[in-house]
Amino acid sequence: MKRITLILIALALVLTIVITGCKKEEEIAKGPIVLAQGKPEIDEQLKAYAAQWSEATGIEVTIKSCGGGSCDLGQMLKADYAAGEMPDIFAINGPQDFLEWQSIVLDVSGEPWVKDTSVAFTYEGKTYGFPVAVEGWGMAYNADVLAEADVDPKSLVNLAGYRDAFAKIDAMKADLGLDSVVSMAAGPEMGWVTAHHNFNSLLSNGLDYGDTSAADNLLAGKVDAKRLAEYADWVELLFQYADKAVLTTGNYDAQVGAFATGKAAFLHQGNWVDGNLAGAGANFDVAFAPHGSMEAATEGIFVSAPSFYVVNSESKNTDAALQFLTDLAGTEAGANYMVNEAGMIPAFSNINLNPSGKLSKSVQEWAAMGKVYSWNQYLFSGEFRDQTLAPIYNQFANGAISKARFVDLMTEAFKSL
Amino acid sequence: MEKTRENRIVFWLFLAPVLFAFLMVVVVPFFMGIFYSFTSWSSSARVGGGLSFIGLTNFTESLTDPSFLYSFILTFIYTAINVLAINIVSFALALLVTSAIKGRNIYRVGFFLPNLIGGLILGYVWQFIFNNAIPGLGKAWAFLAPLANPDYLILADRNASVLALVLVGTWQYAGYIMMIYVAALESVPVELHEAARIDGAGGWLRLKNITIPMVAQAFTITMFLTLVNSFKQFDVNVSLTAGGPSTMFLGKPIFGTELLALDIYNTAFLANNLAQGQARAFIFFIVLVVISIVQVRTSKKREVEL
Repeated sequence: MKRITLILIALALVLTIVITGCKKEEEIAKGPIVLAQGKPEIDEQLKAYAAQWSEATGIEVTIKSCGGGSCDLGQMLKADYAAGEMPDIFAINGPQDFLEWQSIVLDVSGEPWVKDTSVAFTYEGKTYGFPVAVEGWGMAYNADVLAEADVDPKSLVNLAGYRDAFAKIDAMKADLGLDSVVSMAAGPEMGWVTAHHNFNSLLSNGLDYGDTSAADNLLAGKVDAKRLAEYADWVELLFQYADKAVLTTGNYDAQVGAFATGKAAFLHQGNWVDGNLAGAGANFDVAFAPHGSMEAATEGIFVSAPSFYVVNSESKNTDAALQFLTDLAGTEAGANYMVNEAGMIPAFSNINLNPSGKLSKSVQEWAAMGKVYSWNQYLFSGEFRDQTLAPIYNQFANGAISKARFVDLMTEAFKSL
Repeated sequence: MEKTRENRIVFWLFLAPVLFAFLMVVVVPFFMGIFYSFTSWSSSARVGGGLSFIGLTNFTESLTDPSFLYSFILTFIYTAINVLAINIVSFALALLVTSAIKGRNIYRVGFFLPNLIGGLILGYVWQFIFNNAIPGLGKAWAFLAPLANPDYLILADRNASVLALVLVGTWQYAGYIMMIYVAALESVPVELHEAARIDGAGGWLRLKNITIPMVAQAFTITMFLTLVNSFKQFDVNVSLTAGGPSTMFLGKPIFGTELLALDIYNTAFLANNLAQGQARAFIFFIVLVVISIVQVRTSKKREVEL
């Protein structure tokens, strides 16, 4: 009896070894792959698409979403890298992120989707990143309120235009049912609105698409005093007409919520709030107006494909990873996921679908007219924006410092670079 | 002889799993961390990155960084206020729930409950209270109108935010410390109080001369726990104030309520400087060890043995 048990156990052992051995060989051929991305809002849709793709190809895909306030993708990637579990595909934002991972990012110049996009991530002539989506921001406005206040959105192209419009709407706040003119946030968690997005007005407003001269000068410590002074006026204007509670302590929900419920005429956010507006049941017309950070008219909004999927060159499954990206851009199912499910503006010319979000449509309209300015904030390190600039904006918003001091501190910050 | 040897083997066998876990998750990472704090390690695939020894650079840079120094000072201030607040509140609560009041078991549970809520969630709950509920009160009742004035928002002011951290920290932790005091108070012999009462000692005299010396042991523990916990405060800090509002220190704009743990975290993960974060954590560790030893020694002197 004992002997039989022993034999059985031995047999079972051998069998498991054989089975696992076979399975391993299979795995080398295809997958499984892991994709790490930073947009929790599309997590569900992406997982659904990945499951659909797995079914079609037999390659398993795991999606790891990490972003928003509670999770930091860069941090997760570092932990994974230290643990030797770097995902096969991961998302990066712009050149600073790319440099962080440069030695393990695969050159994808030869992929079929490259010819269909003009916004892939390139570095020194080679293509490295698959553009996730086209995104844009300007001043989102409630068209119904503007019409009621008799403000022409076409006048919103410079400081003077915004000064008049803000003053006019501010005087009619009670009639329009508004709490404040503009929904702006500069609280401690909202540094990305001020020190990333708003900051970009200083870097690229009014310049040709792809012109980084203003940013380069600041990076070299050369400050254009006139440009900075006008920009400070713009920041002051936004802060002055904002709801102070939302401005100093509000979070993303408070900021977007004020606009979605019709309590603010303008919102300083991008087309990603489409989902939030729909979720809040906002039924008014919205569109983007250009930022008014200069006295000169600047007719255009900030549009870019800021986030890219890159393939880990050290992965054993690069073939499967490349196939995943190729299918994402090249198949109907991929296009359907990007545009209809996730509501993103596709970065590929072979995709003819259009997102249904009103702000996304507005971004597409501006882009179709060619009236777009770059996103240059990623030329500055995350540390500089979050740890140095964000506290300056926050103090200005709290009223702790004057506009002159704001300009001084910004100047000092650039000189210290 | 044979028996003791067997016993010893069994002893180590039983200890082995725990010892192994302790080695792997505490001892090894600790020394690896010290090692990394002398390098330029950043756990990224930067070209020309990798690991190189840079001596004490991480330490000197940390000690000259205004935001680190500010966090150090702020953490000391926060700890001082927090230790006092928690201990006074929890001792008072312990006296209350060991007295003869009705429903004291319900009070015990009630005061302890906040401790069961995670610090992150608690921070968000209180953030909502400070940012929405309190101004909401001001809007609802005219006589509370100043509360609705955005100029008086608690989390928009640096000093008030620090006190808000103390308030939430106390609310969370007082119940736990109260339980330790309750245990100590209940072990004070009733005879002592009876004898003192016969001699004509009032409530205050008995508290000062009998209760407090008799629970001095508990003070050693609670002071240690509250001290270390206040020093390591992180989750409530992240979720309640996120380091804001900003302020100026040594001519540099910095976050005004960034305690040490949060500063270390931000250095490591926001500034992408893991090795320097590790160096700061090591400095933090040394300071914490020194302070705890001093505190335990001084408290021990006051303990009374029966």
